[in-house]
Amino acid sequence: MTENEILTRLRAFLQETFLYMRPDYVLSNDDSLLQKGIVDSMGVMDVLGFLEETFGVTPADDEVTEANLGTPRAIARFVAGKLRAPHTT
Amino acid sequence: MCGIAGIARRDPDGVELDTLARMAAAIRHRGPDGYGFYTSPRVGFGHVRLSIIDLAGGAQPLTNEDGQVVVTFNGEIYNYRELMRELEALGHRFRTVSDTEVLVHGWEQWGPALLDRLIGQFAFAIHDRRNESVFLARDRFGVRPLFYAQRDQSLYFGSEIKALFASGELEPAPDPLGLDEVFTFWAARPPRTPFAGVSQLEPGCWGLWQDGTLEVRRWYHLSYPERQAEPRDALEQLDALMKSSVDLRMRADVPVGGYLSGGLDSSITCGLAATRSPYPLRTFSVTFADPRFDESRFQVEVARAIGSTHAVQPIGVGEIAAAFPDVIWHAETPLLRTAPVPMFLLAKLTRERGITVVLTGEGSDELFLGYDLFKEVAVRRFCLRQPESQRRERLFDRLYPYLGEHQRLGDFWRRFFLTASGPDDPLFSHAPRFQLTAHIKQFYGAAMREGTAGHDALAELRATLPAAFATWAPEHQAAYLEMTTLLSPYLLSSQGDRMGMAFGVEGRFPFLDHRLYEFAARLPVRSKLRGLAEKHILRRWATRVVPPTVIARHKQPYRAPDAASFFGRTAPAWVDDLLAPAAIEQAGYFAPTAVSGLVRRCRAGQTAGVRENQTLLAILSTQMWHQAFLEARRPVTPLALDTADVLLEGAAATVPSV
Repeated sequence: MTENEILTRLRAFLQETFLYMRPDYVLSNDDSLLQKGIVDSMGVMDVLGFLEETFGVTPADDEVTEANLGTPRAIARFVAGKLRAPHTT
Repeated sequence: MCGIAGIARRDPDGVELDTLARMAAAIRHRGPDGYGFYTSPRVGFGHVRLSIIDLAGGAQPLTNEDGQVVVTFNGEIYNYRELMRELEALGHRFRTVSDTEVLVHGWEQWGPALLDRLIGQFAFAIHDRRNESVFLARDRFGVRPLFYAQRDQSLYFGSEIKALFASGELEPAPDPLGLDEVFTFWAARPPRTPFAGVSQLEPGCWGLWQDGTLEVRRWYHLSYPERQAEPRDALEQLDALMKSSVDLRMRADVPVGGYLSGGLDSSITCGLAATRSPYPLRTFSVTFADPRFDESRFQVEVARAIGSTHAVQPIGVGEIAAAFPDVIWHAETPLLRTAPVPMFLLAKLTRERGITVVLTGEGSDELFLGYDLFKEVAVRRFCLRQPESQRRERLFDRLYPYLGEHQRLGDFWRRFFLTASGPDDPLFSHAPRFQLTAHIKQFYGAAMREGTAGHDALAELRATLPAAFATWAPEHQAAYLEMTTLLSPYLLSSQGDRMGMAFGVEGRFPFLDHRLYEFAARLPVRSKLRGLAEKHILRRWATRVVPPTVIARHKQPYRAPDAASFFGRTAPAWVDDLLAPAAIEQAGYFAPTAVSGLVRRCRAGQTAGVRENQTLLAILSTQMWHQAFLEARRPVTPLALDTADVLLEGAAATVPSV
């Protein structure tokens, strides 16, 4: 799965889960989910659950960081990296 | 403890007894033991009585010797015996042995300065016929409620807002700014209420009505004149104050019981009460089927240790939703939590077991810095001094050991606290909570957006902070905000007075004795919060009163099951009705499409976070509130005049025979 495909599915999930009450909000791939008030700390649990169910990716505790999961693009990159990892090892 | 209501007019147009009888009927639950009325050309009072002190002679309204000073009073003046002796020495003659009578003679003697002498929880109105003024007063911390409205040069007041509307002379309407404060602070900030044109007297304030105008003044100021060091005899001082405070609150002509949560504070109040009660102490607790909320193991342990006769109110899956409509009716405000519901059911149980007065541990967390919020302040400030230090941020994980699910969220959980606001903001301590709560505003419909345009609840709060605020320690600033934005308008009201008085059960709060507050406010922060150990001095002292396991417990916040209570197998039909897009549209507070999205997620069991849980509660309770007060208003049958205990009527009031 490409990074773009991951991004498309992720955006749909974010829209339906966190932005349903803000139909006018245009989500940018570089929006900080936390700072823009899109996701709160409990919402991160939802994101983790989505990644697990949809892509089979379970981040380790020390990977739950803003660098890996702070923006839609960061998440897509992180997931794509995880999906590639088994083939390269 | 009782309920009061009344009207004051500028001109001598009279106050109809029937009007007062309707106002009193609306709050009859507060005083099921009797009622009385007083009318004169300008001023009329109603009173519903819960008999606690001087069962035979304490009926109200009550006058002084010559009938020129008339009072209607809700609450308790605990030091009434001492004040009675003082006033008798000054030449006043008492006809009863009730605390109420202290107010009329005290008013004659001292005027508004009477308030400084009172130890108690009170809201009352005094008509001084000598100059046709009406004096309204409320206790220091806002334990007892007092609402008022003005229209056509008349003043209406009452213990609950429903009494004002029952006059038939005021129409209920929502106040978008009051609602906006509910969706910021959890409750409208006094003097505002969720109703347009209805105010509440702020805690520690009085109002004087004369010639058609009301002047409001603050008579008690919260203050934190912190000492450099803890006094050597601090534990002895605390010991004496705690015992005196509990002793005064055991004064009653009916048995006094206690609410026992299983935490430190109520264990202290019940423990002290048990050693001082002439009866075997009766204690009451809620227990939860859901083990995340349940504290019954500790409750049983304390009850056994203090030898109380213990009764429990179990809260299962269906109870929360079933009682919710009545809870909203009594609370008179939208709610962001279901926590008042168990308190409502507990009061019902307490009344059924024949107890009408209970001591509770409320106030201790504010005085002795018990809430996690105070630790957050310390940790956030510590982290922000070195923003790059990851080691410092790890402290957050230690803050919330009971929130196991957050452990995985490391980075995000900590960021939530560290980005909320800077340490220079006076609201620094509460910024994370206020931001979390404000999520609800994203669901506003057009009318609420318009009605709140230009309103900034936080800016208004900043503008009303006392001048000395900036000189207080950050933890004391947080304590002040907690006392003024949450303790009185939400905890003592929606979870306290309203839930107890729904069944005529009076709460008494030993920690909210102003002598104890002033003692605690002068202590250095370090006496209360040492590292991350909360209520430090209280724990050191409490070894004398409660079992060691209770002292060692980490504080568990009182919580009840939230949004999930309204969905699934046990959900009542009205949930769907109130949340239907047409109903949302018609009420006009929220955007139907946004609400539908949230409801869909709730039905699917997808709402995990605090944000969505409290948003759902806010929307559902606003719909319920709107229906109860603005659409289908409950009919009021006036109380019968011929069975009143007191009926003072006419231009020259007569002194009732008692």
